[in-house]
Amino acid sequence: MSILQKIKNTVRSRSIHVAYVDVGSCNGCDIEVLACLAPRYDIEQYGIYVHNNPREADVLLVIGSMTPQWVDKLQDIWEKIPEPKVAIAIGNCPISGCVFNRWHSYIEPPVAKYIPIAAQVPGCPPRPTEILNAILALAPTLFNDYEEKKQK
Amino acid sequence: MKKNVDVSIPLGPVHPCWKEPVRLKCETSGERVLRTEVELGYMKKGIERIMRGRPWQEVMFLAERVCGICSVVHNMVFIEAMEGISGIAVPPRAAYLRVIVNELDRVASHILANFSYCYTIEHETLGMYLLNVRETVLDNLERITGSRINTAYMIPGGVRFDLTEADKAALLADLVKVEADMHRYVRMFETGPLIALRSKGIGIMSRERAIEAHAVGPTARASGLPESDLRLCHPTYQKLGFTPISRTEGDNFARIMIRFQEVFQSIDLIRKCVDRLGEGDSIRGGGFCGAGEITYRGEAPRGELTYYIKSDEYGRILDIAIRTPSIMNIEACAHYMITDATSVADVTSTFISSDPCIACNER
Repeated sequence: MSILQKIKNTVRSRSIHVAYVDVGSCNGCDIEVLACLAPRYDIEQYGIYVHNNPREADVLLVIGSMTPQWVDKLQDIWEKIPEPKVAIAIGNCPISGCVFNRWHSYIEPPVAKYIPIAAQVPGCPPRPTEILNAILALAPTLFNDYEEKKQK
Repeated sequence: MKKNVDVSIPLGPVHPCWKEPVRLKCETSGERVLRTEVELGYMKKGIERIMRGRPWQEVMFLAERVCGICSVVHNMVFIEAMEGISGIAVPPRAAYLRVIVNELDRVASHILANFSYCYTIEHETLGMYLLNVRETVLDNLERITGSRINTAYMIPGGVRFDLTEADKAALLADLVKVEADMHRYVRMFETGPLIALRSKGIGIMSRERAIEAHAVGPTARASGLPESDLRLCHPTYQKLGFTPISRTEGDNFARIMIRFQEVFQSIDLIRKCVDRLGEGDSIRGGGFCGAGEITYRGEAPRGELTYYIKSDEYGRILDIAIRTPSIMNIEACAHYMITDATSVADVTSTFISSDPCIACNER
């Protein structure tokens, strides 16, 4: 492992920037992601910063049941995120459409059809601890030695 | 495009200040924002279309997923509308329990709205304090109903769970803590000189324009319309001697302060309800949901919520229409508050101060 890679690993493990995009949810998962910011869960103690800006994000949290208006826009946002990047689906909606996946509704789940989803957190809505756990479990395995893995 | 407009600045749909996708088009002349236009339609799921033809047992769960922040009041208004159709009576203990849960939800929603505002004007410290108080409120909601967000607590003729003595004691103890904390944070907000610079005299909506724009909820009450509070018409709140509060300034500061004041009012209402819980033991009456047609209104944390329901004799929903408060408030905000704003930074804070809920709005 090169020295540069070691430095990158150390820096990335304590600086994960999160953006979240709501593609048609009921707002329940949004406020559970917001609750992660609260001092009780304190997402920033793990070096995770919620900025909601795709251009500086490492992790994209996708919330909601994928309305047709988002089909092209979500792909645009995914392309704007610099490498290495990862998308996590929060809640039942991006996985299956939850209660909205019925006849006559205007949604097109799952989100995994449009962008690569690395992890899914089921729940309606999932608890903040579960969201936190998903980010913490996924980020190191994905960002460690990213350049070396890419070369192989 | 008019001659005096320089640039049209779009804000959104993905924006660091917006929690949900919405797009504001601001027409600017220099730094000054002359007028704004709202572009909606990113979250339309068609909930009302799914609801049609389904039994009330399914529609009940869809109704509370119209909005995740104020799910309790959607549940309450839908269930009370079904009770109105079928003539089902609610035992007094259940009626007070409904008010307790509804007011806890209102406290959580108001604190979240004020957190968003503090976060938008970059007063992160106060925002984090408020978010921590909200967790305490949600703990109580979870202890009583079993869930933090989508509670499904109310059913026709009563509520699902009773309030045990231990939960009651914990609720009252937590209310003391929340009230003490909130007094401190409200003083911080009220007396902060920099907050006053960002909030006072910005986004003013006068009483006449609030009436013209059909503003509802705290947005209308901050402009001097106390009679817009529909809790005045609710029988349980009438028994509790509810009187709405209002302010006259109509600016961002007033809209945030009225939410803070309503938090204290809600805490008082919860205490009154807990005192009166002894009026009965039963938490569930009986009854069947039948055929009928009703337009029922209730007061959500953001304002007036209307359900029109038509059902058949088996309790299936034949037709349903929902009007949520954010529809009026977002339009009032875009067309009456953000006119001739001094900078684009004020557009985001003014928009957040009207507590927009896009998920409610588009359903």
